[in-house]
Amino acid sequence: MKIKQIAIMTAAGAVLAAVPAWAHHAFAAEFDAQKPVHLEGVVTQVELINPHSWIHVDVKKGDGAVISWMVEAGSPNVLLRRGFTKNTIALGTPVVVEGFQSKDGSLRANGRDITLPNGQKLFLGSQGTGAPYDEKK
Amino acid sequence: MNYRAILSASALALTLTVVLSAQTPAPKSTSKNWTVPRTPDGKPDLQGFWTNSTLTPLERPPAFPNSLTMTDAEAAVWEKKTSDEWAKYDGKAANPIADRWGSGGTGGYNAAFTDQGTELARVDGLKRTSLVIDPPDGHIPPITAEAKARNGAMMRSFNKADSVKDRALSERCLVSFGNSAGPPMMPTLYNNDYQIVQTPDTVLILVEMVHDARIVRMNATHAPPSVRQWFGDSIGHWEGDTLVVDTTNFNGLAGFRGASRNLHVVERFQRTGANTILYRATLDDPDTYTKPWTLEFPFVASKGPIYEYACHEGNYAMIDILGGARKAEQEKEKQKEKK
Repeated sequence: MKIKQIAIMTAAGAVLAAVPAWAHHAFAAEFDAQKPVHLEGVVTQVELINPHSWIHVDVKKGDGAVISWMVEAGSPNVLLRRGFTKNTIALGTPVVVEGFQSKDGSLRANGRDITLPNGQKLFLGSQGTGAPYDEKK
Repeated sequence: MNYRAILSASALALTLTVVLSAQTPAPKSTSKNWTVPRTPDGKPDLQGFWTNSTLTPLERPPAFPNSLTMTDAEAAVWEKKTSDEWAKYDGKAANPIADRWGSGGTGGYNAAFTDQGTELARVDGLKRTSLVIDPPDGHIPPITAEAKARNGAMMRSFNKADSVKDRALSERCLVSFGNSAGPPMMPTLYNNDYQIVQTPDTVLILVEMVHDARIVRMNATHAPPSVRQWFGDSIGHWEGDTLVVDTTNFNGLAGFRGASRNLHVVERFQRTGANTILYRATLDDPDTYTKPWTLEFPFVASKGPIYEYACHEGNYAMIDILGGARKAEQEKEKQKEKK
Protein backbone atom coordinates (compact mmCIF):
# COMPACT_ATOMS: atom_id res chain seq x y z
CA MET A 1 0.00 0.00 0.00
CA LYS A 2 2.68 2.41 1.07
CA ILE A 3 4.90 1.65 -1.89
CA LYS A 4 1.94 2.02 -4.18
CA GLN A 5 1.13 5.41 -2.71
CA ILE A 6 4.69 6.64 -3.09
CA ALA A 7 4.79 5.41 -6.66
CA ILE A 8 1.55 7.17 -7.42
CA MET A 9 2.73 10.40 -5.80
CA THR A 10 5.99 10.33 -7.72
CA ALA A 11 4.18 9.67 -10.93
CA ALA A 12 1.72 12.45 -10.21
CA GLY A 13 4.54 14.89 -9.57
CA ALA A 14 6.39 13.85 -12.68
CA VAL A 15 3.72 13.51 -15.30
CA LEU A 16 0.93 15.75 -14.09
CA ALA A 17 -0.91 17.09 -17.10
CA ALA A 18 -3.07 19.56 -15.22
CA VAL A 19 -4.27 20.15 -11.70
CA PRO A 20 -7.66 18.45 -11.56
CA ALA A 21 -10.90 20.03 -10.43
CA TRP A 22 -11.62 19.36 -6.76
CA ALA A 23 -14.83 19.02 -4.87
CA HIS A 24 -15.65 22.12 -2.88
CA HIS A 25 -14.85 20.40 0.35
CA ALA A 26 -12.48 17.51 0.27
CA PHE A 27 -14.62 14.94 2.09
CA ALA A 28 -11.46 12.90 2.45
CA ALA A 29 -10.05 15.62 4.73
CA GLU A 30 -13.26 16.18 6.63
CA PHE A 31 -14.69 12.71 7.31
CA ASP A 32 -13.12 9.48 8.45
CA ALA A 33 -13.69 6.55 6.11
CA GLN A 34 -12.90 4.27 9.08
CA LYS A 35 -15.79 5.64 11.15
CA PRO A 36 -19.07 4.64 9.50
CA VAL A 37 -22.23 5.77 11.25
CA HIS A 38 -25.82 4.61 10.95
CA LEU A 39 -28.26 7.12 12.43
CA GLU A 40 -31.99 6.73 12.94
CA GLY A 41 -33.66 9.81 14.29
CA VAL A 42 -35.90 12.78 13.65
CA VAL A 43 -35.09 16.02 11.84
CA THR A 44 -34.88 18.97 14.25
CA GLN A 45 -33.45 21.65 11.97
CA VAL A 46 -32.69 22.12 8.28
CA GLU A 47 -29.98 24.59 7.40
CA LEU A 48 -30.25 25.32 3.69
CA ILE A 49 -26.98 27.20 3.59
CA ASN A 50 -23.93 27.36 1.39
CA PRO A 51 -21.50 25.93 0.73
CA HIS A 52 -23.38 22.84 1.94
CA SER A 53 -26.71 22.15 3.62
CA TRP A 54 -26.80 20.65 7.12
CA ILE A 55 -29.66 18.54 8.42
CA HIS A 56 -29.83 18.24 12.21
CA VAL A 57 -31.03 14.88 13.48
CA ASP A 58 -31.85 13.85 17.08
CA VAL A 59 -31.04 10.22 17.72
CA LYS A 60 -32.54 8.52 20.76
CA LYS A 61 -30.30 5.94 22.40
CA GLY A 62 -31.51 2.77 24.11
CA ASP A 63 -31.34 4.41 27.56
CA GLY A 64 -33.52 7.30 26.39
CA ALA A 65 -30.69 9.81 26.07
CA VAL A 66 -30.90 11.99 22.95
CA ILE A 67 -27.84 12.72 20.86
CA SER A 68 -27.93 15.56 18.35
CA TRP A 69 -26.08 14.95 15.09
CA MET A 70 -25.45 17.27 12.15
CA VAL A 71 -25.50 15.70 8.70
CA GLU A 72 -23.78 17.40 5.78
CA ALA A 73 -25.64 17.39 2.48
CA GLY A 74 -25.13 19.16 -0.83
CA SER A 75 -25.42 22.76 -1.87
CA PRO A 76 -28.94 24.18 -1.42
CA ASN A 77 -28.95 25.81 -4.85
CA VAL A 78 -29.70 22.63 -6.74
CA LEU A 79 -32.53 21.70 -4.38
CA LEU A 80 -34.15 25.13 -4.46
CA ARG A 81 -34.26 25.12 -8.24
CA ARG A 82 -35.94 21.74 -8.04
CA GLY A 83 -38.61 23.22 -5.84
CA PHE A 84 -37.40 22.13 -2.43
CA THR A 85 -37.37 24.71 0.35
CA LYS A 86 -36.44 24.55 3.99
CA ASN A 87 -40.10 23.70 4.65
CA THR A 88 -40.04 20.65 2.41
CA ILE A 89 -38.54 18.48 5.10
CA ALA A 90 -40.90 19.00 8.01
CA LEU A 91 -39.35 19.11 11.45
CA GLY A 92 -39.98 15.82 13.16
CA THR A 93 -39.59 13.80 9.96
CA PRO A 94 -37.91 10.50 10.76
CA VAL A 95 -34.81 9.77 8.67
CA VAL A 96 -32.17 7.09 8.36
CA VAL A 97 -28.68 8.33 7.58
CA GLU A 98 -25.70 6.35 6.40
CA GLY A 99 -22.44 8.25 6.49
CA PHE A 100 -19.05 8.69 8.07
CA GLN A 101 -18.21 10.69 11.18
CA SER A 102 -15.98 13.75 11.08
CA LYS A 103 -12.29 13.15 11.71
CA ASP A 104 -12.22 15.37 14.79
CA GLY A 105 -14.78 13.13 16.50
CA SER A 106 -17.52 15.79 16.70
CA LEU A 107 -21.12 14.71 16.12
CA ARG A 108 -21.09 15.59 12.45
CA ALA A 109 -21.31 13.18 9.53
CA ASN A 110 -21.68 13.24 5.78
CA GLY A 111 -25.13 12.24 4.60
CA ARG A 112 -24.11 10.03 1.76
CA ASP A 113 -27.44 8.23 1.98
CA ILE A 114 -30.47 9.89 3.55
CA THR A 115 -33.70 7.90 3.42
CA LEU A 116 -37.11 7.90 4.99
CA PRO A 117 -37.98 4.87 7.15
CA ASN A 118 -40.16 3.44 4.35
CA GLY A 119 -37.08 3.20 2.18
CA GLN A 120 -37.82 6.22 0.02
CA LYS A 121 -34.71 8.26 -0.64
CA LEU A 122 -34.89 11.80 0.57
CA PHE A 123 -35.17 14.26 -2.31
CA LEU A 124 -35.06 11.70 -5.06
CA GLY A 125 -37.85 11.51 -7.56
CA SER A 126 -37.46 15.09 -8.71
CA GLN A 127 -34.74 15.59 -11.25
CA GLY A 128 -33.77 18.62 -13.23
CA THR A 129 -32.45 22.09 -12.82
CA GLY A 130 -35.02 24.18 -14.64
CA ALA A 131 -33.06 24.10 -17.89
CA PRO A 132 -35.20 23.46 -21.00
CA TYR A 133 -33.60 20.09 -21.63
CA ASP A 134 -34.82 19.03 -18.21
CA GLU A 135 -38.26 20.60 -18.43
CA LYS A 136 -39.23 18.78 -21.60
CA LYS A 137 -38.75 15.44 -19.84
CA MET B 1 -6.72 8.32 -2.60
CA ASN B 2 -6.95 11.45 -4.69
CA TYR B 3 -3.58 10.81 -6.24
CA ARG B 4 -4.99 7.77 -7.96
CA ALA B 5 -7.51 9.90 -9.82
CA ILE B 6 -4.79 12.37 -10.72
CA LEU B 7 -2.56 9.62 -11.99
CA SER B 8 -5.21 8.06 -14.15
CA ALA B 9 -6.19 11.45 -15.55
CA SER B 10 -2.55 12.29 -16.26
CA ALA B 11 -1.82 8.93 -17.81
CA LEU B 12 -4.88 9.22 -20.00
CA ALA B 13 -3.91 12.67 -21.16
CA LEU B 14 -0.37 11.58 -21.91
CA THR B 15 -0.84 8.24 -23.54
CA LEU B 16 -3.54 9.14 -26.00
CA THR B 17 -2.17 10.28 -29.30
CA VAL B 18 -3.25 12.80 -31.86
CA VAL B 19 -5.28 11.12 -34.55
CA LEU B 20 -7.37 13.75 -36.22
CA SER B 21 -6.64 16.68 -38.42
CA ALA B 22 -10.14 18.20 -38.54
CA GLN B 23 -10.42 21.96 -38.35
CA THR B 24 -12.35 23.65 -35.59
CA PRO B 25 -15.90 23.82 -36.93
CA ALA B 26 -17.52 27.22 -37.30
CA PRO B 27 -20.66 27.61 -35.20
CA LYS B 28 -23.90 28.22 -37.02
CA SER B 29 -27.39 29.15 -36.01
CA THR B 30 -29.54 26.18 -35.01
CA SER B 31 -33.02 27.58 -35.57
CA LYS B 32 -34.73 28.81 -38.73
CA ASN B 33 -37.55 30.89 -37.33
CA TRP B 34 -35.60 32.53 -34.59
CA THR B 35 -33.91 35.93 -34.67
CA VAL B 36 -31.30 37.19 -32.25
CA PRO B 37 -32.94 39.19 -29.43
CA ARG B 38 -31.34 42.62 -29.04
CA THR B 39 -30.78 45.21 -26.34
CA PRO B 40 -31.98 48.81 -26.98
CA ASP B 41 -28.54 49.68 -28.41
CA GLY B 42 -28.89 46.91 -30.99
CA LYS B 43 -26.44 44.40 -29.55
CA PRO B 44 -27.37 40.73 -29.13
CA ASP B 45 -29.09 40.28 -25.76
CA LEU B 46 -27.25 37.74 -23.65
CA GLN B 47 -29.11 38.61 -20.47
CA GLY B 48 -30.81 36.08 -18.27
CA PHE B 49 -30.07 32.90 -16.37
CA TRP B 50 -27.98 30.20 -17.96
CA THR B 51 -26.50 26.83 -17.07
CA ASN B 52 -23.50 25.05 -18.56
CA SER B 53 -24.31 21.68 -16.91
CA THR B 54 -23.32 18.90 -19.24
CA LEU B 55 -22.41 15.23 -19.24
CA THR B 56 -19.80 15.85 -21.95
CA PRO B 57 -16.35 15.38 -20.41
CA LEU B 58 -13.59 17.96 -20.73
CA GLU B 59 -11.37 15.58 -22.69
CA ARG B 60 -12.42 12.96 -25.20
CA PRO B 61 -13.15 9.52 -23.75
CA PRO B 62 -11.26 6.57 -25.27
CA ALA B 63 -14.56 5.19 -26.62
CA PHE B 64 -14.67 8.01 -29.19
CA PRO B 65 -11.05 8.53 -30.20
CA ASN B 66 -11.68 9.95 -33.64
CA SER B 67 -14.78 12.05 -33.42
CA LEU B 68 -15.86 15.34 -31.88
CA THR B 69 -19.50 14.31 -32.27
CA MET B 70 -21.60 11.23 -31.73
CA THR B 71 -24.94 10.20 -33.14
CA ASP B 72 -28.10 10.67 -31.09
CA ALA B 73 -28.30 6.88 -30.69
CA GLU B 74 -24.73 6.74 -29.36
CA ALA B 75 -25.48 9.71 -27.13
CA ALA B 76 -28.59 8.06 -25.70
CA VAL B 77 -26.54 5.01 -24.74
CA TRP B 78 -23.85 7.20 -23.16
CA GLU B 79 -26.39 9.30 -21.24
CA LYS B 80 -28.21 6.22 -19.95
CA LYS B 81 -24.94 4.62 -18.90
CA THR B 82 -24.06 7.75 -16.91
CA SER B 83 -27.45 7.98 -15.25
CA ASP B 84 -27.36 4.23 -14.43
CA GLU B 85 -23.93 4.70 -12.84
CA TRP B 86 -25.22 7.53 -10.67
CA ALA B 87 -28.15 5.36 -9.60
CA LYS B 88 -25.93 2.34 -8.98
CA TYR B 89 -23.49 4.13 -6.68
CA ASP B 90 -25.86 6.64 -5.08
CA GLY B 91 -25.57 6.38 -1.30
CA LYS B 92 -22.76 3.81 -1.41
CA ALA B 93 -19.50 4.26 0.50
CA ALA B 94 -17.58 2.65 -2.37
CA ASN B 95 -18.56 5.25 -4.95
CA PRO B 96 -16.11 5.80 -7.79
CA ILE B 97 -18.01 8.89 -8.95
CA ALA B 98 -17.75 10.56 -5.54
CA ASP B 99 -14.13 9.44 -5.27
CA ARG B 100 -13.34 11.31 -8.47
CA TRP B 101 -14.43 14.42 -6.59
CA GLY B 102 -12.25 13.75 -3.55
CA SER B 103 -14.57 11.81 -1.23
CA GLY B 104 -11.77 9.48 -0.14
CA GLY B 105 -14.09 6.50 0.31
CA THR B 106 -16.75 8.36 2.27
CA GLY B 107 -19.22 8.36 -0.60
CA GLY B 108 -20.20 12.03 -0.79
CA TYR B 109 -23.92 12.71 -0.51
CA ASN B 110 -27.13 11.78 -2.31
CA ALA B 111 -27.00 12.20 -6.09
CA ALA B 112 -29.94 14.63 -5.89
CA PHE B 113 -27.51 17.23 -4.60
CA THR B 114 -25.52 17.22 -7.80
CA ASP B 115 -26.25 18.94 -11.06
CA GLN B 116 -24.31 17.70 -14.04
CA GLY B 117 -27.36 17.83 -16.24
CA THR B 118 -28.84 14.87 -18.01
CA GLU B 119 -27.46 15.26 -21.51
CA LEU B 120 -24.29 15.60 -23.49
CA ALA B 121 -23.57 19.05 -24.89
CA ARG B 122 -25.29 19.67 -28.23
CA VAL B 123 -23.75 22.06 -30.78
CA ASP B 124 -25.03 22.54 -34.33
CA GLY B 125 -27.51 19.76 -33.69
CA LEU B 126 -24.91 17.15 -32.80
CA LYS B 127 -23.93 15.75 -29.41
CA ARG B 128 -20.32 16.39 -28.41
CA THR B 129 -17.80 13.84 -27.12
CA SER B 130 -15.50 16.40 -25.46
CA LEU B 131 -15.45 20.04 -24.48
CA VAL B 132 -11.96 20.38 -25.98
CA ILE B 133 -12.36 20.98 -29.73
CA ASP B 134 -8.80 21.98 -30.54
CA PRO B 135 -6.42 20.14 -30.62
CA PRO B 136 -8.67 17.99 -32.81
CA ASP B 137 -7.93 14.88 -30.72
CA GLY B 138 -9.99 16.43 -27.92
CA HIS B 139 -7.16 16.56 -25.40
CA ILE B 140 -5.44 19.41 -23.60
CA PRO B 141 -1.95 19.80 -25.15
CA PRO B 142 1.06 18.52 -23.16
CA ILE B 143 2.23 20.93 -20.48
CA THR B 144 5.73 22.37 -20.20
CA ALA B 145 8.44 21.06 -17.86
CA GLU B 146 8.17 24.28 -15.87
CA ALA B 147 4.43 23.76 -15.36
CA LYS B 148 4.99 20.13 -14.35
CA ALA B 149 7.41 21.20 -11.63
CA ARG B 150 5.13 24.02 -10.48
CA ASN B 151 2.02 21.85 -10.35
CA GLY B 152 3.88 18.94 -8.74
CA ALA B 153 4.95 21.19 -5.85
CA MET B 154 1.39 22.47 -5.53
CA MET B 155 -0.11 18.98 -5.45
CA ARG B 156 2.37 17.82 -2.81
CA SER B 157 1.24 20.63 -0.50
CA PHE B 158 -2.44 19.78 -0.86
CA ASN B 159 -2.75 17.67 2.28
CA LYS B 160 -1.44 20.28 4.71
CA ALA B 161 -3.94 21.58 7.26
CA ASP B 162 -1.85 23.62 9.71
CA SER B 163 -3.89 26.72 9.07
CA VAL B 164 -6.84 27.93 7.04
CA LYS B 165 -4.34 29.32 4.56
CA ASP B 166 -3.08 25.82 3.75
CA ARG B 167 -6.44 24.80 2.38
CA ALA B 168 -7.69 25.09 -1.17
CA LEU B 169 -9.12 28.45 -2.25
CA SER B 170 -12.57 26.93 -2.75
CA GLU B 171 -12.62 25.41 0.75
CA ARG B 172 -11.83 28.89 2.02
CA CYS B 173 -14.82 30.34 0.14
CA LEU B 174 -12.51 32.59 -1.90
CA VAL B 175 -13.18 31.41 -5.44
CA SER B 176 -15.36 28.83 -7.11
CA PHE B 177 -13.95 25.33 -7.37
CA GLY B 178 -13.61 23.69 -10.72
CA ASN B 179 -13.19 27.05 -12.45
CA SER B 180 -16.90 27.88 -12.51
CA ALA B 181 -15.95 31.55 -12.90
CA GLY B 182 -12.80 30.76 -14.88
CA PRO B 183 -12.21 32.09 -17.31
CA PRO B 184 -12.81 29.71 -18.98
CA MET B 185 -16.12 29.15 -17.18
CA MET B 186 -16.27 25.41 -16.67
CA PRO B 187 -19.18 23.14 -15.81
CA THR B 188 -18.58 21.21 -12.62
CA LEU B 189 -20.36 18.89 -10.17
CA TYR B 190 -23.11 21.35 -9.20
CA ASN B 191 -24.07 25.05 -9.06
CA ASN B 192 -23.49 25.49 -12.78
CA ASP B 193 -25.68 28.56 -12.99
CA TYR B 194 -24.92 32.02 -14.26
CA GLN B 195 -26.69 35.34 -14.67
CA ILE B 196 -25.65 37.81 -17.36
CA VAL B 197 -26.52 41.51 -17.15
CA GLN B 198 -25.60 43.90 -19.97
CA THR B 199 -25.18 47.63 -20.46
CA PRO B 200 -23.45 49.29 -23.43
CA ASP B 201 -20.33 49.75 -21.25
CA THR B 202 -20.27 46.60 -19.16
CA VAL B 203 -21.20 42.94 -19.22
CA LEU B 204 -21.58 41.41 -15.77
CA ILE B 205 -21.48 37.66 -15.32
CA LEU B 206 -22.66 36.50 -11.91
CA VAL B 207 -21.51 32.99 -11.11
CA GLU B 208 -23.57 30.97 -8.67
CA MET B 209 -20.65 28.99 -7.29
CA VAL B 210 -19.14 30.99 -4.40
CA HIS B 211 -20.94 34.08 -5.70
CA ASP B 212 -18.12 35.05 -8.03
CA ALA B 213 -18.77 38.02 -10.31
CA ARG B 214 -16.94 38.81 -13.52
CA ILE B 215 -17.05 42.36 -14.80
CA VAL B 216 -16.26 42.75 -18.49
CA ARG B 217 -15.41 46.34 -19.49
CA MET B 218 -16.53 46.93 -23.07
CA ASN B 219 -14.23 48.60 -25.62
CA ALA B 220 -11.65 49.24 -22.89
CA THR B 221 -7.93 48.57 -22.68
CA HIS B 222 -6.31 46.18 -20.21
CA ALA B 223 -5.18 47.37 -16.79
CA PRO B 224 -1.39 47.76 -16.40
CA PRO B 225 0.50 44.46 -15.93
CA SER B 226 1.01 45.24 -12.24
CA VAL B 227 -2.74 44.92 -11.62
CA ARG B 228 -3.52 41.25 -10.97
CA GLN B 229 -6.94 39.76 -10.21
CA TRP B 230 -8.42 36.37 -9.29
CA PHE B 231 -10.34 36.07 -12.57
CA GLY B 232 -8.00 38.33 -14.50
CA ASP B 233 -8.87 41.60 -16.20
CA SER B 234 -11.61 41.11 -18.77
CA ILE B 235 -12.29 43.52 -21.63
CA GLY B 236 -14.86 42.98 -24.35
CA HIS B 237 -15.92 44.02 -27.82
CA TRP B 238 -18.45 42.89 -30.42
CA GLU B 239 -17.33 41.12 -33.58
CA GLY B 240 -20.57 41.16 -35.54
CA ASP B 241 -23.06 39.45 -33.25
CA THR B 242 -20.42 37.70 -31.17
CA LEU B 243 -19.24 39.08 -27.82
CA VAL B 244 -15.48 38.60 -27.60
CA VAL B 245 -13.96 38.80 -24.11
CA ASP B 246 -10.20 39.04 -23.72
CA THR B 247 -8.75 38.24 -20.29
CA THR B 248 -5.20 38.73 -19.00
CA ASN B 249 -3.66 39.96 -15.70
CA PHE B 250 -4.45 36.83 -13.67
CA ASN B 251 -2.94 36.61 -10.20
CA GLY B 252 -1.88 33.05 -10.99
CA LEU B 253 -3.57 31.59 -7.92
CA ALA B 254 -6.87 30.54 -9.43
CA GLY B 255 -5.94 29.98 -13.07
CA PHE B 256 -7.39 27.10 -14.99
CA ARG B 257 -6.08 23.90 -13.40
CA GLY B 258 -2.56 25.04 -12.74
CA ALA B 259 -2.23 27.61 -15.54
CA SER B 260 0.20 30.45 -14.83
CA ARG B 261 -0.43 34.13 -14.22
CA ASN B 262 0.46 34.70 -17.87
CA LEU B 263 -2.65 32.84 -19.03
CA HIS B 264 -4.48 34.66 -21.83
CA VAL B 265 -8.08 33.62 -22.45
CA VAL B 266 -10.23 34.72 -25.38
CA GLU B 267 -13.91 33.84 -24.96
CA ARG B 268 -16.63 34.12 -27.59
CA PHE B 269 -20.34 34.30 -26.69
CA GLN B 270 -22.81 33.84 -29.52
CA ARG B 271 -26.62 33.55 -29.29
CA THR B 272 -27.46 30.54 -31.45
CA GLY B 273 -31.05 29.96 -30.39
CA ALA B 274 -33.88 31.05 -28.11
CA ASN B 275 -32.39 28.98 -25.28
CA THR B 276 -28.73 28.87 -26.19
CA ILE B 277 -25.50 30.79 -26.05
CA LEU B 278 -22.63 29.03 -27.78
CA TYR B 279 -19.50 29.56 -25.69
CA ARG B 280 -15.98 29.13 -26.97
CA ALA B 281 -12.74 29.81 -25.08
CA THR B 282 -9.14 29.67 -26.31
CA LEU B 283 -6.40 29.37 -23.71
CA ASP B 284 -2.88 30.54 -24.48
CA ASP B 285 -0.22 30.20 -21.79
CA PRO B 286 3.29 29.40 -23.05
CA ASP B 287 4.42 28.98 -19.42
CA THR B 288 2.01 26.07 -19.06
CA TYR B 289 0.82 24.67 -22.39
CA THR B 290 2.98 23.74 -25.35
CA LYS B 291 0.38 25.27 -27.64
CA PRO B 292 -2.94 27.15 -27.40
CA TRP B 293 -6.12 25.09 -27.13
CA THR B 294 -9.85 25.64 -27.40
CA LEU B 295 -13.01 24.59 -25.56
CA GLU B 296 -16.57 24.87 -26.82
CA PHE B 297 -19.95 24.13 -25.26
CA PRO B 298 -23.41 25.71 -24.93
CA PHE B 299 -24.92 27.69 -22.10
CA VAL B 300 -28.60 26.75 -21.91
CA ALA B 301 -31.37 29.00 -20.56
CA SER B 302 -32.16 28.18 -16.97
CA LYS B 303 -34.58 29.09 -14.23
CA GLY B 304 -33.61 31.91 -11.89
CA PRO B 305 -32.96 33.48 -9.59
CA ILE B 306 -29.55 32.54 -8.31
CA TYR B 307 -29.57 31.69 -4.63
CA GLU B 308 -27.25 33.74 -2.46
CA TYR B 309 -23.97 31.99 -1.77
CA ALA B 310 -23.04 33.23 1.70
CA CYS B 311 -20.21 30.75 1.95
CA HIS B 312 -18.29 31.64 5.12
CA GLU B 313 -21.35 31.57 7.34
CA GLY B 314 -22.02 27.90 6.78
CA ASN B 315 -18.49 26.64 6.37
CA TYR B 316 -18.56 24.00 9.14
CA ALA B 317 -16.38 21.88 6.90
CA MET B 318 -13.32 24.05 7.56
CA ILE B 319 -13.73 23.43 11.31
CA ASP B 320 -13.96 19.70 10.66
CA ILE B 321 -10.92 19.66 8.38
CA LEU B 322 -8.62 21.60 10.73
CA GLY B 323 -10.06 19.84 13.81
CA GLY B 324 -9.51 16.49 12.15
CA ALA B 325 -5.88 17.33 11.44
CA ARG B 326 -5.31 18.34 15.10
CA LYS B 327 -6.91 15.11 16.29
CA ALA B 328 -4.65 13.12 13.99
CA GLU B 329 -1.62 14.92 15.42
CA GLN B 330 -2.69 14.14 18.98
CA GLU B 331 -3.14 10.50 18.13
CA LYS B 332 0.29 10.39 16.53
CA GLU B 333 1.82 11.89 19.70
CA LYS B 334 0.06 9.28 21.83
CA GLN B 335 1.46 6.51 19.65
CA LYS B 336 4.97 7.95 20.07
CA GLU B 337 4.60 8.07 23.85
CA LYS B 338 3.51 4.42 23.90
CA LYS B 339 6.69 3.46 22.08
